[in-house]
This record gives sequence, structure tokens and C-alpha cells, in this order.
Amino acid sequence: MTEKELLEQLNELKSIKPNEDWANWLLSNILTKSHQTVMIKPRVKLVSFSFLHQYQKALVSVALVVLFVSTFAFAQTALPGNPLYPIKTLTQNARIALAPKDYKPVIRMQIAKNRLEDMAKITDQEQVIALMSQNIQKDLQTIPQELKNISKKQVALQMSKQVQNEAKDLKNLSNNSLNKNINNLNQNIDEFQDKVFAFIFSTEEEINQCPTSLQDKLVNLQKYLTDNVQTLVQWPIDDITKVRTFLGDIENDLKAGNCLEAMAKIESINQILQIHSLDIKVETSTPEN
Amino acid sequence: MTEQEFINLYKHNLDKIFRFIYLRVDKVETAEDLTAQAFLKVWQRQIPVIASDEALPAGRQESPVISNPTAFIYRVARNQIIDFYRQKKKVPISLEELKEKGIDLPQKSFLSQIELSFEMENLKKALQRIKPAYSEVIIWHYVDDLSTKEISQILNKNENSVRVLLHRALETLKKELNKKV
Repeated sequence: MTEKELLEQLNELKSIKPNEDWANWLLSNILTKSHQTVMIKPRVKLVSFSFLHQYQKALVSVALVVLFVSTFAFAQTALPGNPLYPIKTLTQNARIALAPKDYKPVIRMQIAKNRLEDMAKITDQEQVIALMSQNIQKDLQTIPQELKNISKKQVALQMSKQVQNEAKDLKNLSNNSLNKNINNLNQNIDEFQDKVFAFIFSTEEEINQCPTSLQDKLVNLQKYLTDNVQTLVQWPIDDITKVRTFLGDIENDLKAGNCLEAMAKIESINQILQIHSLDIKVETSTPEN
Repeated sequence: MTEQEFINLYKHNLDKIFRFIYLRVDKVETAEDLTAQAFLKVWQRQIPVIASDEALPAGRQESPVISNPTAFIYRVARNQIIDFYRQKKKVPISLEELKEKGIDLPQKSFLSQIELSFEMENLKKALQRIKPAYSEVIIWHYVDDLSTKEISQILNKNENSVRVLLHRALETLKKELNKKV
């Protein structure tokens, strides 16, 4: 291609034009836009923080997380009556809910102690004190059952002793409290301590006399299952399989001399039976005993 | 810049700016979007237009002024193209982004189509293959009829440099087209 031909071709490109309707639309559209007051806005702000726009979503998320975390952090120092106190209660309940099953009684006991400490700091809110006192009493009623539900006897004993220590602190706090409306609570703590002590005693006894008490439990279990075959037929197949597996494991544990392991499995069977409201008559030590 | 000054600038330069952009990008729609953004920027910046031989009013010595509106709009368009290719490497320009920049997309279709002959299409592709600096000066000088003085104002170079650039650009384009043939 010669230069002349090339220049002719380039000249033909002059025929390229935009669509006339579009050109008219664009002009009217632009003229409706207000002038940007560039000189009024500080340039440094536009330059320095313009990058924030692209991280907008991330920044909003981070800000929300910071707000959320700081609210929870502040709430931990709140006292009853403070608007943030419900958040503190929520956090405490979440701690209990998220705790491993075997540690629940200890965590619940620690939180009951914290709540009593909070209660001791307020004197002028009778309704709040009465409500908190009721909640602590509910916790004290729940803990013995939770201790009883721990399958492994040695773990149950260890947890019970920790609960017992915490209960002593709880009793001291309650005695030193100036609140006059917690007489019921004092009485409940006394009863609670008795129950825990009884549970510790019976658990230690079971551990010490493991082979004998285990044999008794097995005999009772076998008798119960034989007597209630018709009811067992209505159980879901999964639960029957679980019980069978536990029984097989118990046999193996006995052969291996792992008495406490076998005892834990008996407790697991016991819990399945309780779920099905059969109220097994297998002898188990409970705080109520 | 008054509304009338802008309308004059728009009418006088729209075809050239559109053509300049269209020859550097693939699609008509892209050329329309970039042209719209270029003119919108000029309108929104509100920089006063001053004739080159006119004395600056008191207090305006420090502020930016447009002494050559055509050169200014070409510079803006050129930056739009650079931005477009930079953005294209990351993500395509979204419709929302255009709206954020102040361009309301037309509700009706303008059926913008440009039919180029086989030779014209080849020439356009060749212009896109050579260095952007070469294709720019070729379009400005041989298509848009800008003088070397005007090009020197756009590029902030002296006229001699522009002439050398033009010569090299034309040679390169010729080679590129012959290579294809």
C-alpha cells in the first residue's frame, strides 16, 4: 500500500459519526447535571479517602463487628437494672449452652455465683433482686440433675467436688449479703449443698464397690428389659441398636476389668430409658437419695 | 464555562471525539459511553474558558483555565480511553458504575451501528495494533484535521517532535497494513 492510498483510506474514516438521536439525548442529559463544586470540596479529602469506597462493604462489616464486640465487652461490667445487663445475662446463658455436657454443672455454678455477686451490689431494686434470686434457685435445682447425667462416675465425682467448692463461696456470699429478701435462697443453698454432698458420697461408694454394684445394676436391667419387651418393641430401631451396642461393650469391659467404663455405659442406657419415660428401676445413686 | 460555551464545544467536537474514541475501542456502545463521560467531565469541572491571548482576570492567576477547549476535550477523552483499558484489565465497567458517574442510560435504543467497509475495518484494526501514541497522532492529524500545533498543545510537546512522531506513526501503520496484506 502506498502512502497516498493510505491517506485516502484515512480520509474515509471521517465519515464515522455518532448516532444523531444519541448525540441530542446526550447533550440534554449532560446539561441537566448540576455543576460539581470541585473547588469547594477539599481536594485532599477526595484523594486520601477515595480508596475507602471500594472497601465499603468490608469496612461496614468490620465496624459492625467492632460495635458488636465492644457492646458485649461493656455489658460484662453492667449491673442489674442497667440496659446492657440483659446482654450480660445472654452471654452467661450462651456460656452454659455451649459448655461440654460434663462441665455444664460447674459453669452453671460459677455463673450463679457471679449473679449473686451482682445482686449483692444492688440494694434498691427489690423486684430485680427477687427475680434474680428465683433464677439462681432454678440453677441450683438443675445442677444436681446435670451431675447425675454425667455417665462416667469419676468425671461426675470430680465435677461434683468442684461444684461443692463453688457452693461454699456461694453460701459465704449469700451470708454476707445485706439483702433481706434472700432468706429463701439461703435455705435453698443449704439444701443444694446437702444434695451435692450426698451425690459425692454415693458416687464414691459406687466407685469403691464397682464390681458388686455393677452386677446388681445389670441384674436389675436384665429383669426390666425382660419384663417390658412389649414396650421395647415400640422403640425406634436406632435406640434399640444403641442399647444392644452398650450391652455388648459392657460385657467386653467386664472381661477386661474396666468396671468404671462399664458403669458409664449402664448410665448411658439408663438415660435412653429415661428418655422413653420408662423410669427404669435400675438402682442409680442420685442426689435425692 | 457557560451553558452556551459548552453547547458550542459539544457541537464542534462531538463527531471528532466520538471518532477518536471509536477508532481506539471495539464497540460503538463503548465509544458512546466514553464520549459521554468525557463531555460530562468537562461540563462538571466548570473550568472557565479563556482565549489564549486574553489576560487572566484578577484572582484567576492560580486557578485552572481552558485556553484551548478542543485540546482540553481531547486530553480528557484520551484519559478516558487509558482509564477504560486499565479498568478492563480488572473488571468491565458496570452499568451501576456508569450511573454513579452521572450517566443515565437511555431508556430507548438508538440502534447505533457503524458500517465499515472491509478496508476501513482493516485500517481500524491496524490502528489498534500499533502503539497508542502513533494511532492518536494519525487520527488527530489525518482524520480529524488537527494541525501539528494543536496536537503539540494536546501532548504538551513542541511541533517538531509532533512532526517526527507523525512520520514514524505513518510508516509504522503502512508496515502494519502491508504485513497483513
